Amino acid sequence: MKKIFFVLILTLGFFACTDNFEEANKNHYLISDVELEQDFNLLGSPFQGFLSNLFGHQIEEDLVHDNFMRNLGTPTPFVGGVNNTTYYIRWNSYWGRIYGSVMSPSLQVIKQADEGGYEVFSAWAKMLQVLAISKLTAWHGPVIYSNYGVSGQANIYDKEDVLYDKLFADLDAIQAVFAANNTYKGLVKFDASYNGDVAKWSKLVNSMRLRLAIRISKVAPALAKTQGEKAMSDPAGLISANSENFNVSLYGNKLPMNVICFEWGDTRMGAGFESFMVGMKDNRIASYFAPVEDVSLVTDHPDWPYKGIHSGAFLDAKDQRLPYSTVNESFKSVTSRRYFTYSEVLLLKAEAALRGWAGAGDAKTNYEDGVRASFADWGAGGVDAYLADATSKPINYVDPKEARNNFTSRTDITAEWNESDSNELKLEKIITQKWINNFTNSLESWTDFRRTGYPKIPVNAKNDSNADWGVIPDGEFIKRMPFINGERDNNKEGVADATAKLGGPDNIATRLWWDTGGPNF
Amino acid sequence: MYLIMVLLFASFASVFAQTKVSGTVTDASGTTVPGVSIVEKGTPNGITSDINGKYSLTVGSNAILHFSFVGMTEVDEAVNGRTTIDVVMVSSAIGLDEVVVTALGIQRDKKTLTYASQQVTGEELMKARGTNFMENLSGKTAGLEIEKSASGAGGSTRVIMRGFKSLGGSSEPLYVIDGIPVMNIKRGQPGMWGGADNGDGLSQLNPDDIESINVLKGLNASILYGSQGANGVVLVTTKKGMAGKTLVSINSTTTFESVLVYPELQFDYGALNGAKESWSTTKGGTKYSEDMMKDFFETGNNLVNGVTVSGGNNITTAYFSYNNTSAKGIIPNNKYGKNNVSFKQSTKLFNDKLVLGSNVMLASELIENRNVAGYYLNPLTGLYNFPRERDFMDYKNNYKIFSESRNMYLQNVYVVDHHLSNPYWIVNMEPKEEKIQRMIANATADYSFTEQLALVVRGTYDYVDYKMTEKHAAGSNVTNVSQNGQYIFGDRTDTKAYADALLKYDNTFGKLNVTGFVGGSYTKNKWSGKGASNGTNNLLYPNVFSTQNYPTNIVVNEYGGETIMQSLYASVSLGWDDMFYLDVSGRNDWSSTLIGTDDGASYFYPSVGGVVLLSNVFTLPEIISFLKIRGSIAQAAKEVPWNSILSDNSISGSLGGINKSTRQPWTDLKPELITSNELGLEFKLLKGRVGFDFTYYNNNSTNQFLNVELAPEEKGRYQTKNINIGEIVNKGVEMTIDFIPVQTNTITWKTAFNYHKNTNEIISLDPENPNRVIGMGSSEGYQTFLRAGGSYGDLYGFKFRRNEAGQIMLDEKTGRPLKTATQYDVNDWTVGYLGNLEPDWNLGWNNNIQVDRFNIGLLISGKFGGEVVSQTESMLDGWGVSKRSGEARDVGYVEINAIKGTTPVTQISAFDYYAEGGGTGGRNGIIEPYVYDRTNIRVSQFSVAYDFDVKKLKPIAGLSLSLVGQNLFILYKKAPYDPELAMSTNNSSQSLDNFNTPATRTYGFNIKVTF
Repeated sequence: MKKIFFVLILTLGFFACTDNFEEANKNHYLISDVELEQDFNLLGSPFQGFLSNLFGHQIEEDLVHDNFMRNLGTPTPFVGGVNNTTYYIRWNSYWGRIYGSVMSPSLQVIKQADEGGYEVFSAWAKMLQVLAISKLTAWHGPVIYSNYGVSGQANIYDKEDVLYDKLFADLDAIQAVFAANNTYKGLVKFDASYNGDVAKWSKLVNSMRLRLAIRISKVAPALAKTQGEKAMSDPAGLISANSENFNVSLYGNKLPMNVICFEWGDTRMGAGFESFMVGMKDNRIASYFAPVEDVSLVTDHPDWPYKGIHSGAFLDAKDQRLPYSTVNESFKSVTSRRYFTYSEVLLLKAEAALRGWAGAGDAKTNYEDGVRASFADWGAGGVDAYLADATSKPINYVDPKEARNNFTSRTDITAEWNESDSNELKLEKIITQKWINNFTNSLESWTDFRRTGYPKIPVNAKNDSNADWGVIPDGEFIKRMPFINGERDNNKEGVADATAKLGGPDNIATRLWWDTGGPNF
Repeated sequence: MYLIMVLLFASFASVFAQTKVSGTVTDASGTTVPGVSIVEKGTPNGITSDINGKYSLTVGSNAILHFSFVGMTEVDEAVNGRTTIDVVMVSSAIGLDEVVVTALGIQRDKKTLTYASQQVTGEELMKARGTNFMENLSGKTAGLEIEKSASGAGGSTRVIMRGFKSLGGSSEPLYVIDGIPVMNIKRGQPGMWGGADNGDGLSQLNPDDIESINVLKGLNASILYGSQGANGVVLVTTKKGMAGKTLVSINSTTTFESVLVYPELQFDYGALNGAKESWSTTKGGTKYSEDMMKDFFETGNNLVNGVTVSGGNNITTAYFSYNNTSAKGIIPNNKYGKNNVSFKQSTKLFNDKLVLGSNVMLASELIENRNVAGYYLNPLTGLYNFPRERDFMDYKNNYKIFSESRNMYLQNVYVVDHHLSNPYWIVNMEPKEEKIQRMIANATADYSFTEQLALVVRGTYDYVDYKMTEKHAAGSNVTNVSQNGQYIFGDRTDTKAYADALLKYDNTFGKLNVTGFVGGSYTKNKWSGKGASNGTNNLLYPNVFSTQNYPTNIVVNEYGGETIMQSLYASVSLGWDDMFYLDVSGRNDWSSTLIGTDDGASYFYPSVGGVVLLSNVFTLPEIISFLKIRGSIAQAAKEVPWNSILSDNSISGSLGGINKSTRQPWTDLKPELITSNELGLEFKLLKGRVGFDFTYYNNNSTNQFLNVELAPEEKGRYQTKNINIGEIVNKGVEMTIDFIPVQTNTITWKTAFNYHKNTNEIISLDPENPNRVIGMGSSEGYQTFLRAGGSYGDLYGFKFRRNEAGQIMLDEKTGRPLKTATQYDVNDWTVGYLGNLEPDWNLGWNNNIQVDRFNIGLLISGKFGGEVVSQTESMLDGWGVSKRSGEARDVGYVEINAIKGTTPVTQISAFDYYAEGGGTGGRNGIIEPYVYDRTNIRVSQFSVAYDFDVKKLKPIAGLSLSLVGQNLFILYKKAPYDPELAMSTNNSSQSLDNFNTPATRTYGFNIKVTF
């Protein structure tokens, strides 16, 4: 009996021993914050994720603003032909990407950087947030920004004027840190865009400030002018050459447009781009797209054998339009994509000049330099002839398979700048060139379009909008994306407040703050 | 003096007087019974009856002989000077003193159990020779909800007892073999977009090794297994050798498998303008027929051959078995092969005080081209959809065509579409292979200090190695496979090391019987794996499937983990005069998954139960031979999943980006708690001619473990957290009625009804957010989710939009039916509600008829109530290939009670009603018409066996031939497919059909020879 008790007590002692438990409960295939501190990887390693998640995939770009802006068109009648492209919302997921993959982890980096006194990393993370939120607000309008991460308030959206104030203030703070640390080497290992060159990031800060200022130039002209002039006068300067373009690495992944076009067959050249680029004899078309093999498709312009698909189109079988122009084969092997180019900076300055902002230079010079920079960036030739062309204008579009998709061009615009043109016409030329340049980066084009009405892209052929997501009258265009279902279901209080701040119903027909309607000057 | 010595000598002699007793043991039918244990009570003196049932033993003249044999009622005979004692032993199936195996391998009298359990013998289990032993149980036990996967031979099974209990974890029971828990690793399951069931651990077991299965239905029975047993326990007892008898048995089964339910398709209308949907309204001229479609499926077969050898003597018994299974499925190139070897021995030492036992089971499975489900890389989508005006025979015979530009063969496919491939290409050019090796080894030492006190020590090691490869040829569907092909591989190893020690005590003090034990166990589960896939990243060279051919941006993923569980438990059972029994148990666990929490890794839970044998307390009318009531209350705490407390960052992609974990660390986690109340009533009438077993249970699961989004006002550095929330209640009834309507010398008919009903209610989920829903599987047109106030299996989706008068509203521009705006509305849970996927109740009717040497088994089982959803039917309608869309075109319209604006409409065209993108069909259509009543009744198992008279065929001891069949006829169903075939066997995507492989019937014959 004694022996048995002894064994029992020993056993009890054994069971109370839980030394191995922590080791067992750890996932050794993950990497802890402590492990990341080796080689100083903790703060910088998440930036690859922040940068690559500034862009989304098929249902966040191709089937949203790439189609809204007629860069691309889809041959596939998704969900029976009734989907985002025909103004009936099926996909609306960019919000989740921005908060889940950028805002949330960047807050962690900011906290750790602040605790460690690494102010450049903290500012850099803040910059990524600005880059991300500036895109998200162009989708929805009010978004959660100044309250994000504030316990008890993180569900409250910012009204857009408050939001833009905060963005400008953040750019101030970021620039202050960058300016004081412009030879800092800590970012080198983690920065595939600028190789850790803080001075270049400073240029991006100024360029972003200019972009945002132009965005709000109609709704808050005084603030816009102040911010725009500040951007153009900052000693760090703006992006001043194609070599300073802000590109985001694909980090070994394929460009989504490449996958969607060549692997899934779900996207092709846009009819809007065909109308403008073929019509204006724009050589950049050869860099963007591939000519068709079936010449019967391009009998309307056999010299420029490119055929696009209209957005918001009447589609039958997907295979009907697979032979239309794909994007250029070179997109299969690109390793980065454009977020902010020198061309856009010049065209922003051109508009700033039209608005009489100090430091903007001359509108014509900026316009022409902007077009040249774009041709150079995309490897296209003949820019001089292009800029001298006062006759070539966008053509009417014909869809060989379905006449209902045909459209007449709404504009007679040409590439040549004419000093005697009205400001409206000059602005139309500037914005049209900005739109053409920003191929693969069309969100800002969508913003410009809603703000200015330019370029004069064709309306949808098929309009399935209804009370479910908001009615867009025939001949008009979608104004925003609704707040996402996840927020509507789980953050009712926040969405109700945000809708009030939006100043209209939460649907696709409500204009955003800076989209005032009316003339541009 | 001399007289005293004689007296003394006489008394000595009488004390030491020994008698030689001999006799024959027979059973009720007169057949001799070998292997019966005959022991002089109170001594180790004993023997077993020989092959002729004869025994001979020298015992004290005052001795009492104790006769015992498994499955038969024990008999005591006082010698009283007799030299010949013949004994008739009665089968205890009719007897009232059934001994069953309970938790931890402890044997107890069934009548003393305070909880519900049901035992099925191996023979009954394998009557219809089904290859998956858990499926064979369906309908034979009340309370087991069993679903077989549609993935064919070697597929996994979903087994649920007493409802869905655990949000974050599994609701499936623990499988125990000979007292030792074994792993049942459930691997990947298919979903809407494809994938295959990668099996579970049950398919590796050899069903012919099973002696009996005892199902411990509730938590109350399995508390001794702790949290693992909280969902119930399936206790498998394997066969062992018998002393004094050598037995060789050979079993050979051949069964065939054919499709039970084909989808109903039209073959009269083709497509317009070369589209991929068949919406032409011109009948005829088609080159695709129903026979061609059915011809794709083959008749499957299952060949199972095995041999078992067992024997032994008083000291050692041994059992050996080998089994080979070879099967071919109904989809071409689907094959399955399995080899099982098992060896078991038991040795008595030190005067039978010490019993050493060991058992080794080895299994090896090879599965080729397991059936898939879902939209992608599934041969069935292309098979059903093929536009009817195209030439199918050409498409079939030339599934690969030569490409001049690539100088190789590529797929012959008429459209680039992510759903569709040439079915013959998929089954021939996209092979998949899975290899599984398993070993379960255990050793036991059972030492009896005295007759009252024994110590059992056990150890086991369970090892599974799983390897899979998929090799998709270049030319396969470009949505999933790169231009040069796709190579996927995955390896996974799971091991379990388990040891326990149990001190058992059993003593009787007058009328009080005290049984109890104290024990402890240690379990360590480890798993690890790795795999990679190139997806659509192009392989370097076409059609070479090795990792050297991967492009440089492919990452090989590795994973692994470990959990440790240490436990101490104790149980005491007090019995008074065989009338009242009281069980009290308690268990304390230390789980590695809770280390670092505020409450620590240790937690305790108790249970208590009682039995009153009313038939022993009161004198009841003679018709009632047995009456018992039982009740128990038990608790089990379930540890949280591995790695739930803290979390770390992941390395992502080929260039090493870091994804920071956005899950909030949470140290307040507690184990899940299940409290179960159970009440039962058992009675037997007419000495067991009629039996009745009824249980009512009420289970309450709280502190559910769940990963949830943070409340929106708390988001920031973190997005999600793990918490304990919620309360789920499962209530129900299990009832078994068995009776023997006919019992004569030549005919015996035993019949049993097994009924169970479970009602599940989600009482609360997240008190801070009463409208929170937790998704359990969805697709574009429907959702299943859990919500407070709802129950598991609630289905919501798009319905027809109707006006106040109930008329379907049509779009004013297009004339097509409108659907409701939302799938559900948190302010009104009736909006979008389509029903519940769980059945209301289940009934199995099992019959066993013995007529002379014939034995007939018939099991009819039915599920009643509940709903199922068929995405397949929706897609078939959307594409215009369904029979109903064809019939609608025959008459020219679909009848509808609709309104367009203010104009009533009674007929619309088939296209407007069914076609994708505005009709009911397709992805994201109106799911309402595709929700069907789940009720179905079928002939589940049927067998006719003939037992030959082999007295003249020595050395053959037994020969039987049987005809067997499973899932033979569906007597009643409303759904257009078999609702009981599950696409997935985990918690989500239940009752969903998305191009699942059709259900099959199997039929064949079996020969068994014993020597």
